Amino acid sequence: MSTILESAAPGKRVPRSAGATARLLGPKTLAMLVLAAIALVYLLPILTVLNVSLKSRQAFDLNPTSIATEFRLANFAEAWKRASFPVYITNSLAYAATATLIYSATAVFVAFPISRKYVRGSGFLFGLFIVAMFLPSALIPQFQMMLHLGLYNTRLGYVLLFLVDPMGIIILVNYIGSVPRELDEAAMMDGCDYVRYVARVVFPLVKPALASVIALHAIGVWNDYATALIYLPKKAFMPITRGLMVFYGQYGNDWTTLAAAMLMLLIPMVILFLALQRWIIDGILQGSLRG
Amino acid sequence: MRQGYSFNFGSRRSKIVPYLLLVPGLLFYLFVSFGPSIATAGYSFTDASGLLGSPLRWIGLDNYKEFLLLGANVRDNLDITLRTLLFSVLVTVFQTLFGLIAAVLLDMRLKFTNFYRTLYFMPIILGVTIVGLVWTLFFYPIGGPAQRFLGLFGAHSEFLGGSPSSVFYWIVWIQIWANMGVTMIIFLGGLQTVPAELREAARIDGASGWQVFRNVTFPLITPSLNTNVLLEIIGSLQAWQLFLVIKGPTNGLNVLGLWVYALAFGRQSNNPTSVAMRQGYGAAASMILFLLVLVIGMASQSLLSRRERRILG
Repeated sequence: MSTILESAAPGKRVPRSAGATARLLGPKTLAMLVLAAIALVYLLPILTVLNVSLKSRQAFDLNPTSIATEFRLANFAEAWKRASFPVYITNSLAYAATATLIYSATAVFVAFPISRKYVRGSGFLFGLFIVAMFLPSALIPQFQMMLHLGLYNTRLGYVLLFLVDPMGIIILVNYIGSVPRELDEAAMMDGCDYVRYVARVVFPLVKPALASVIALHAIGVWNDYATALIYLPKKAFMPITRGLMVFYGQYGNDWTTLAAAMLMLLIPMVILFLALQRWIIDGILQGSLRG
Repeated sequence: MRQGYSFNFGSRRSKIVPYLLLVPGLLFYLFVSFGPSIATAGYSFTDASGLLGSPLRWIGLDNYKEFLLLGANVRDNLDITLRTLLFSVLVTVFQTLFGLIAAVLLDMRLKFTNFYRTLYFMPIILGVTIVGLVWTLFFYPIGGPAQRFLGLFGAHSEFLGGSPSSVFYWIVWIQIWANMGVTMIIFLGGLQTVPAELREAARIDGASGWQVFRNVTFPLITPSLNTNVLLEIIGSLQAWQLFLVIKGPTNGLNVLGLWVYALAFGRQSNNPTSVAMRQGYGAAASMILFLLVLVIGMASQSLLSRRERRILG
């Protein structure tokens, strides 16, 4: 038992007797114990939220860790009412949908000609996107620009900041490279025009990569906290992440309600994650290959 | 470089169509992201503030001098920079180690492998807000789960009431918890490219499990190791949002990325006229972080690729 717990504790090295334990238990059993221990490290914090969300305030104050004895949903009703959830969630959905739709449509028209070298300076253009992760933070000049354009504290300004994602371009360019060029040639011979070809042929062909790009981008917008903190002080404009932090600031001691609020966000996201997992994993693998 | 292919869609005039359609996406990128990134260098030589209508003066290297040499906070700035480096080293080393262990164990294809992989990877979609709040609750100081759990080992967690330095190590831990899944997935991708026959051959020759890993598997996954290490170094040097959610700018706990935010937007940036918002000075701090990322990123890139050439030829 101590082996499991020790390897799960942060920073603890696997004990020196690992070899001896392995011989005793067999490597497979040892591996399964370690995997289960890591699983606990991932499950316990989430289960704590679930547990606290079911407790009454008094029960939490008495003992935050004890298992909830009753199944009460009062905290959820309370959180929904007090946290202005409907407003925040509508905002988050609108921001994520708008930004992702515009971004992914424009991204294919950027990535396709670059990948095929149909435009001059394709290599240079691709380079502009690859260096993005090394560049200085855009935070301050971005803020100056938005302030001077009068886009501070506007929905338009906020969405504008999310029409960009170099990682998505890299994923698409890499993927389009694997789509046979003979298709382009056949379409050219048939006299198909460019817009129709990209819309009717390229979009469907890159669907797997596009699904990854859409999933990763939408998650990124949905989870944004810092940009919303900087740009959207107005409560009616706040996305759910920011709303949750405002709620935390106001009711910081009311963990039972806060846990219920967190869970109402967590559960749909976990379900969505289970549905999209494949695309997310593909996207991360593709995006990490930058040659 | 590969030569451009001939482009022959539709009529002659339509040769400009791809350019026209490329423009929106490219312009968004240049105006919203790339341009402002480059402009950070320019702002770092000014006394820009976040107030609308305040004059902008060119002050040369004054911001850098204040940050590095003359200002009242030079000592703090040095601490912040060292803490950023420490954060990066700890996150890179342990996230690589844990991610590799998880990937190797999952690659053994034992029971529940799919479930475990999904579970370890899940925090990727939760985002800093949920991750930060989940762990803040887990570290609830009065009889919270972490306190009881660690109490079993005689340790204690003082997350919320604790000293900044102990909070710092818990943020390292949370950062790894949240991102280990990516490292693991990249390693799993690498492990799948290692031919099973090679490992079997080594086993038949009498190599132990550890020897097979050490001499066959590990050298062959060098490309994914390099990808992971580089992503982690850059990501952890630039990290700040988890710090923002969990504690906000706090003396003794700031890292460079968070410090840039604190200088430029104040502790609570609820409206642009509320605080001093020293954005020129913040831009200088941002450039120092950029130089760190550049120097460390390039140095590790060259070390890693030299090692890769030595091993894989």
